[in-house]
Amino acid sequence: MTYNINLFIFVSRIILELNTTAKTMDKTNLTPEESLLLITKTIEETKQRFQENGHIIILWGSLTFIVFLSQYVLVFLGLYKIFDIMWTCILFPLGGIYTFIYVRRKVEKKNIPMTIIGRTIGTMGWVFGFNLMILGFIFGHQLDKAAAPIFLILLALFIIMTGISLKFKPLTIGGILLNLIGFGTFLISTDYYGLSMMLGALVGLIIPGILLNKANRKENV
Amino acid sequence: MFKDLDPILHSQLRLSIVSILMSVDEANFNFIKDTTNATSGNISIQIKKLEQAGYIQVKKSFKNNYPNTTVSITSKGIEAFEEYVNDLKKYINPPK
Repeated sequence: MTYNINLFIFVSRIILELNTTAKTMDKTNLTPEESLLLITKTIEETKQRFQENGHIIILWGSLTFIVFLSQYVLVFLGLYKIFDIMWTCILFPLGGIYTFIYVRRKVEKKNIPMTIIGRTIGTMGWVFGFNLMILGFIFGHQLDKAAAPIFLILLALFIIMTGISLKFKPLTIGGILLNLIGFGTFLISTDYYGLSMMLGALVGLIIPGILLNKANRKENV
Repeated sequence: MFKDLDPILHSQLRLSIVSILMSVDEANFNFIKDTTNATSGNISIQIKKLEQAGYIQVKKSFKNNYPNTTVSITSKGIEAFEEYVNDLKKYINPPK
């Protein structure tokens, strides 16, 4: 009896599916205009579904800003030695873990497909992150005073490339300004390196990230 | 005077699927379903037709114990799509 009911449900579903198939999305007498419109609409919809919302850029900008603001606070409190432990062992690794989980969940939840731009930006981001960690952990003492400007210049390259890939001008402009701040940092006293990093995070990451987020929301309304 | 439009691509759903695949490296079945709003059965049929024509490549695997079908466009598919768009342009703006 149960077998018969299941068989009936199965057959009914197939009939229903075939009927739906016959009725929907089976149009073959499209006019050339309709075809072109369909192509444009589909490509546009596909692009919108995996558009970058600037969330990760804002996160890393804020993280960098907080890290260097805390440097001043800790110096003021006479706790400067805690600073290195705080950013290398707590804040940046936490940011890395959050980024990994966020990207993975976003891809799985929305079934986001892989694109050349997405793969390029993603790979650049991870390569940049790992290089930065190696530079900080292993070669930090060799870089000495040059560490902060080199960090800003490398970050600027990543932001400029991302801006160009996404065809988003504020991000490209932010990257160029960040590049200039990076070179400018070589010219100032090390006492102001923290301020330079905070300014770089604001100009190159936080502001373009917020603008990207706004642009993304506007397009999805 | 006018060339016949490619019958494989000149269908609403098949054209939508190929258009999606033109903008990505590869897409999974659910993404295609969400973007086209078509039924699973209909998408399966059209994917099979496109695969038989050699326009797309289908990869079947498992992800978290669930079947995962990934589709990507082939070079033959890209050529056919480009030709189809060029033919459409000729229909809309006929050469004088």
